Amino acid sequence: MNEQQHMLTEMVDGLFAGLGPSATIEKNWPQIEELGLTTLLLPEADGGFGGSWQDALIVFRLSGYHALSLPVPEAVIAARLASGCGLQGRGTIASRSDGRLEGGRFTGTVHGAVQSAGAAYIVAPATDGGSIVLSTEGAQRKPANNLAGEGRDVWAFDGASAFAVTEDVFELGAFARVAQIAGGLDAALGMSVSYANDRKQFGRPLAKFQAVQQSLATFAGEAAAANCAAMGLAQALDRGNADYEVAAAKLRANRAVGVGTSSAHQAHGAIGFTKEYDLHPITRRLWSARSEFGGDSHWATVLGGKVITAGAHRFWADLTALTD
Amino acid sequence: MQTFAIEALSWPKQGADLRRQVRDLVAEHVHPANPADLTNCWAVADPKFSRTLGQAGLLGMTWPKEYGGHERSPLERYIVLEELLAAGAPVGAHWIADRQTGTLLLRYGHEEERRRWVPGMARGEIYACIGLSEPNAGSDLAAVRTTARRDGDGWVLDGQKVWTTNAHNAHVMIALIRSEEGSERNAGLSQFIIPMDAPGLTVRPIYDLTGGHDFNEVFFDGVRLPATALLGVEGEGWKQATAELSLERSGPERYLSCLTLLTELIRAVGPSPSDSIRTLIGQLVSETWTLRLMSASVAAQIAQGQDPALEATIVKDLGNSFEQAMPALIQAAVETDLASDAALPIMLGHLLQVSPSFSLRGGTREILKGIIARGLGLR
Repeated sequence: MNEQQHMLTEMVDGLFAGLGPSATIEKNWPQIEELGLTTLLLPEADGGFGGSWQDALIVFRLSGYHALSLPVPEAVIAARLASGCGLQGRGTIASRSDGRLEGGRFTGTVHGAVQSAGAAYIVAPATDGGSIVLSTEGAQRKPANNLAGEGRDVWAFDGASAFAVTEDVFELGAFARVAQIAGGLDAALGMSVSYANDRKQFGRPLAKFQAVQQSLATFAGEAAAANCAAMGLAQALDRGNADYEVAAAKLRANRAVGVGTSSAHQAHGAIGFTKEYDLHPITRRLWSARSEFGGDSHWATVLGGKVITAGAHRFWADLTALTD
Repeated sequence: MQTFAIEALSWPKQGADLRRQVRDLVAEHVHPANPADLTNCWAVADPKFSRTLGQAGLLGMTWPKEYGGHERSPLERYIVLEELLAAGAPVGAHWIADRQTGTLLLRYGHEEERRRWVPGMARGEIYACIGLSEPNAGSDLAAVRTTARRDGDGWVLDGQKVWTTNAHNAHVMIALIRSEEGSERNAGLSQFIIPMDAPGLTVRPIYDLTGGHDFNEVFFDGVRLPATALLGVEGEGWKQATAELSLERSGPERYLSCLTLLTELIRAVGPSPSDSIRTLIGQLVSETWTLRLMSASVAAQIAQGQDPALEATIVKDLGNSFEQAMPALIQAAVETDLASDAALPIMLGHLLQVSPSFSLRGGTREILKGIIARGLGLR
């Protein structure tokens, strides 16, 4: 990490720790705006931070770590993709669109729009690659929630003004979820370790039991894998093409969710399963993130397909060429 | 909390050239009669190939030129290692010498011993083994009982090592030995460098369940060593040996033993396999991509002089679990006649049998998870 990244980490860590899972857009979004956080990926010339995807990783990961209930990664990505569209206000992203884009007008539906109540615009994957930026003016929102109670809305557009952009918002949404999974798993692991050290049964801390140690050690490996996958993907985005890495990273992070959440809940026993205890804001977000912007099967099919099409003789050569 | 310290990794600029050099060499020299030799290839010894690598300047890459090394960066060496393993090249003869024995000699060895052994290691002519486990000291390594007793200026060794990989090919061993009479556990241990042709030293093979010969018993019966054979500081053997484990545990061999099986699977299933095989390949590739980043990240941290012991242990545990799971996953997904003489079933059959050792060698899974648990702060 460079010095700027240390400063960014410190600033965002403090802010998100205070906001956490109970923050609301109505009450707390101004704090995000105040810091100019949504301009993280805009060029400095346009009044942004001029940040890289590795900078974004810091912010996105911390949003997962603190189970932040504000759509910060989505607003950051939307602002970046919509930067040439002249739209004002908070933007967000969606995971799917169905419809027709003709002559700068879109008619159809958009699904999985993240916390989109009150959003000024939505960036959604286009049906034929790239993305479309849609103003929400005059469109109809049908609310829907993910497992953590966060908006994943459906919108109906009828001839709405739309801009096509080449960047793939589905990939970037997947990156946001990989980073949040990395942070969420580290947070759940930290809670599990503390709990195992504090909680006594049979006259000694749970941490003394080898079965508990082995389970949390396995969890640590999964958290480590998700964090490394997130870093590898951020580096690929900074290099300019992450088609391969996004599939590999989202799939790996998704798989870590399965092991990590079950290990965290097992370590916590019944208390971790209650509404009052702070584990579920993390684990319910993790379970949602596994399906959002591509589940295991989606990305495994994409990545397997790429490798099979290239052929066995290209497999290792292509893998190493990603970083050479 | 961030368990695994990870920094953005920058690969060497000349990486692609180096890869090309290794790939050309592999294309010319690696054509085993038995496809099984392409798997678990760091247990396959071929002295001729080791010498070829030595001549090409691909051994002892990070060592000083003064000792026959090439003063390349650790990540350049990492590239050579991963290329050799990915291709299934027979690197077993020199692997241990190049990975840790030469490095340890340069760090702790007496000048005479360095001159005697290290240049030959860099040429691919001198091979090594590691004397750690004993009959009653396996996972509980601090229970070692082989003794070194002072005798004039030198030492006399008595005792026995077991599960000693490569002892039958090795010219030299670095062993962990009890050098202080009556000492207990991890105190009073020292490391010694021992020529394998020393009088009183005998090697007996132990054959694995496939009939393969990888490990051995090594007996010391009044083996006399000069004063120069003491490695580093007397009584500091435990600290030195456990520091060595980061080198031993973090390398790409801990996740790449089965990569040739995956490559063969991709070849064998052709351009339009079933959806289930397509997703299995995607899953295995995703794991490979991630482990490569993790393993290289640890290599980079070691290169910067850090000791990422926890990270190295995590990589070995994840890597072993992955390479151990792969043969069974492939067996479950692909209808295979294990009696056939096609490459995929031969490689698969071999790995199904030898893969149980992957989570034993270099520290069992249970020991590794215990180390990780302590690293997490479980008290």
